[in-house]
Amino acid sequence: MPKPWRLKIYLVLFLAVVAVYILLPTFLGFKPLREQAENTGKEVPGYVSLFPEKELNLGLDLRGGIYLELEVSVAEAVNNRLDLMAGEISRFLKEEKVEGAIADRIPKTYRIRVLLPDPSAVKKLKDHMNDYYHGALSEERAGSELVYRSEEKDESKLQALYQQLAKGLSPKEVEVERSGGSDLFRIVLKTARESDAIRSVISSQFPELKETGDPYKVILVALDPYLEKLRSDSVKQAVETIRNRIDRYGVAEPSIRQLGESRVVVELPGVTDPDRAISIVKKAGKLEFKLVDESKKDEEVQVLVADIRKQSQIPEGFTEEVVTALNEAAKGKIPAEDQIVFELQHDPVTKKVVGGTPYLLKRKAEVSGDMLKAAQVSVHDNEPYVSISFNAVGTKAFADLTAANVGKRLAILLDGNVTTAPVIKSAIPSGEAQITLGYGNYQFLLKRAEDLVLVLREGALPASLKEITKTVIGPSLGKSAIHKGLIAALIAGITVVVFMALYYKLSGLIADCVLGLNVLYILGLLALFQATLTLPGIAGIVLTMGMALDANILIFERIREEIKNGKMAKAAIEAGFSNAWTAVVDTHITTFLSGMVLYQFGTGPIRGFAVTLMIGVATTLFTAYWVTRLVFEYLTVKMKIQKVSI
Amino acid sequence: MQLTKKEIPFIQNQVYLLILSLILTVGSIILIAIHGLTFGIDFKGGIKLQYHFNKSVETGQVQEMLAKTLHEKVAVQQFGDPKENTFAFDILKPTQGIEDFSLSVTKALDGHFGAGFATLLKEESVGPKAGQELKRKGQLAVIVACILILIYLGYRFDFYFSPGAILALIHDIIITLGAFAVTGREINLTVVAAFLTIVGYSVNDTIIVYDRIRENALKYKTLPIPQLVNRSINETLSRTIVTSLVVFFVVFVLFLKGEGDIQDFAFAMIVGVITGTYSSIFIASPIYIFLKKHAHRFSK
Repeated sequence: MPKPWRLKIYLVLFLAVVAVYILLPTFLGFKPLREQAENTGKEVPGYVSLFPEKELNLGLDLRGGIYLELEVSVAEAVNNRLDLMAGEISRFLKEEKVEGAIADRIPKTYRIRVLLPDPSAVKKLKDHMNDYYHGALSEERAGSELVYRSEEKDESKLQALYQQLAKGLSPKEVEVERSGGSDLFRIVLKTARESDAIRSVISSQFPELKETGDPYKVILVALDPYLEKLRSDSVKQAVETIRNRIDRYGVAEPSIRQLGESRVVVELPGVTDPDRAISIVKKAGKLEFKLVDESKKDEEVQVLVADIRKQSQIPEGFTEEVVTALNEAAKGKIPAEDQIVFELQHDPVTKKVVGGTPYLLKRKAEVSGDMLKAAQVSVHDNEPYVSISFNAVGTKAFADLTAANVGKRLAILLDGNVTTAPVIKSAIPSGEAQITLGYGNYQFLLKRAEDLVLVLREGALPASLKEITKTVIGPSLGKSAIHKGLIAALIAGITVVVFMALYYKLSGLIADCVLGLNVLYILGLLALFQATLTLPGIAGIVLTMGMALDANILIFERIREEIKNGKMAKAAIEAGFSNAWTAVVDTHITTFLSGMVLYQFGTGPIRGFAVTLMIGVATTLFTAYWVTRLVFEYLTVKMKIQKVSI
Repeated sequence: MQLTKKEIPFIQNQVYLLILSLILTVGSIILIAIHGLTFGIDFKGGIKLQYHFNKSVETGQVQEMLAKTLHEKVAVQQFGDPKENTFAFDILKPTQGIEDFSLSVTKALDGHFGAGFATLLKEESVGPKAGQELKRKGQLAVIVACILILIYLGYRFDFYFSPGAILALIHDIIITLGAFAVTGREINLTVVAAFLTIVGYSVNDTIIVYDRIRENALKYKTLPIPQLVNRSINETLSRTIVTSLVVFFVVFVLFLKGEGDIQDFAFAMIVGVITGTYSSIFIASPIYIFLKKHAHRFSK
């Protein structure tokens, strides 16, 4: 059977060349060159741009940096939101001039209780709920509260009765409430199911109490889907906020992502001042509204900023320091009451900052985040938009601002970066504004609206962050870790390679060469997948080398056996490889399975180990079996070698 | 033709080795029960600091000083090469929050031994809740890996083979845990990674022997099962020894040259490689023979 030798050999060589091509930037250190070129605004050297930008990432343990796991206190976010809603309802009732209405949160539950003086107020409330809280709150039908009236009118006797009742019901885990001077007793239940048991207790022990309905009381309960959304929003918001702050701080390759339901993982490689970085991650956000100075066109501002950068040699980039330096250098070139601020563009996949649009803004914040009352996504005519409302102070400030500046843009800033700058279309005296989001399909607009709401709520809905785990690795330790890791790997590698050559002679040498090819492929794939090389990852590569040689040993022992059995070189090799195949495949698949599990359950460096193990198993199967076989067959079939050196 | 050569009678002597295994396994369980396992801060929660000092000091002195000034119980240990003046601090139950802990330790050290004395190289802190979670995940990982591998084995081989592989695996893990109990080494995330690697390795070794048994069963149809298994073990023995030696070299070098986590990883692997090789011959194979011999009784 003629074999397409040439094709196979070319394939192996081609893959090796590709791996070298991918790895060269890492080993020749192109990244610093690229960054330097970017910062000084010069062209990247021609030979550098020939190579891919992707490089082998070193893990935190190898380069130093910070790994933080933060817990977003979702419970706090939910509590704050419910308190806020109770306050809003209270305010609404006051504005509607409903006398004697009370709206308060029932402690430790997701319920708001509203007490109203008459049925018309109930109607008003229900209409308001339908308009503003649809999908968030709903009226609870089943009584979660029992109300009893006593015929007793004497305050001290009522008080005594209250204490008896509280004592009598104490094993039931319910709360008994009584407002002073009232002959009503409220028994708050945890679930509606308990009500019958409570009723029987009361009718037997406290016959003087009569159950009474309370038509002017409305219990509003937060709906589960809404609570769910609130929780997930608060985590998403935390992720976005932290990302925004880190971008301001300027870290080369930050990684900020959600972990599980309520965790945020922050990885900051190469950061040397952990305390400052952590305080930036955790500080409270700042939301501001500032007017855009429309005296200069956007293009003019862009040219101006580019000129200032060139003249004052301010590097590319949009960190706080860079922007401060820019504004310092811009003095005299822009009006004294103005400042330059950027809107950042992110790569949709990697979330890296890829660019920034400069804005010329008035320095003074006309409206600030604490004046904002609520922000939510609304949909009208199938077009999502954001509706916001201000508190009393904010309404006044916003009304004055919009009246004086119709047609101008108002930039919304979070932590010093522009989020968006909508145009003021008309004066808004009511304190209720709508932000439309331009053109695009429904999904796109919805996504933008949701993102904006997250930003706007930043001030209104603080969910605090708690450090769960923290790992800080100093840069010097990172360097010595690389050094030691490499030395250990090299010594282990050399020992094994020498052993193979001694024990299996020429065949051992072939296995060694193929092993080298294997390591090259592994590193190439790691760079291609932008995987992270950690110290355990290096251990994973060393271990894979062991696995690769195991496959070769298995095959070689098999060939030796076949030769002992009297087979000729070609036949022995043929039989050795095909008989060893099942064992080789089975061992590789089981190792791959444990790698998969490790990846699933592990974090940080351990994942690095799992990734190298899985990639290693795949390349090993290819090199140790397929490539070795190719070499052996080439030698026996094409070179007509009759004796195997094994 | 198969040349007649002397076979090592593994199976014929299996009784002694099974007793040895039993002693080792039971011994390990007892040791684990008495000594208990030392879990690292990954699983227990706590703070781990690594410092470089600009002059050498007694660890006891540092410990005493910290107990006095910060009222913290800190275990101080030399780390790696003694010439490097690097020390590891373990704080299992910090009395204050984890946020600024390292700052106050650095301040106390510099205050007592002179400014610029201590450089913080590394800091790890794990909250108790996160620790619990990692522990649960670690255990789950080992169990899920075992189950996946056994499902695969059940699919590739058959009912007679998989129980032996399971027991060999359990045997290896228990003895490795026993070794951790004896040496008082710390079990951390990296060690769990090593356990999973041992799971993979032990199964690999068993697969090689099983693969040969399956092949020989077709070749020598008349040979009684024990002899068949013994021949298969002998045929794969050179591979087993060479491979184990190669992997042993690798992990031994990592053990000698590595520090901290890498050394813990290598230690687990050394024990695992030895028991993994041993168990595929002396645990997995005899169980296969036992099941083959007595299977007809169960199926009746």
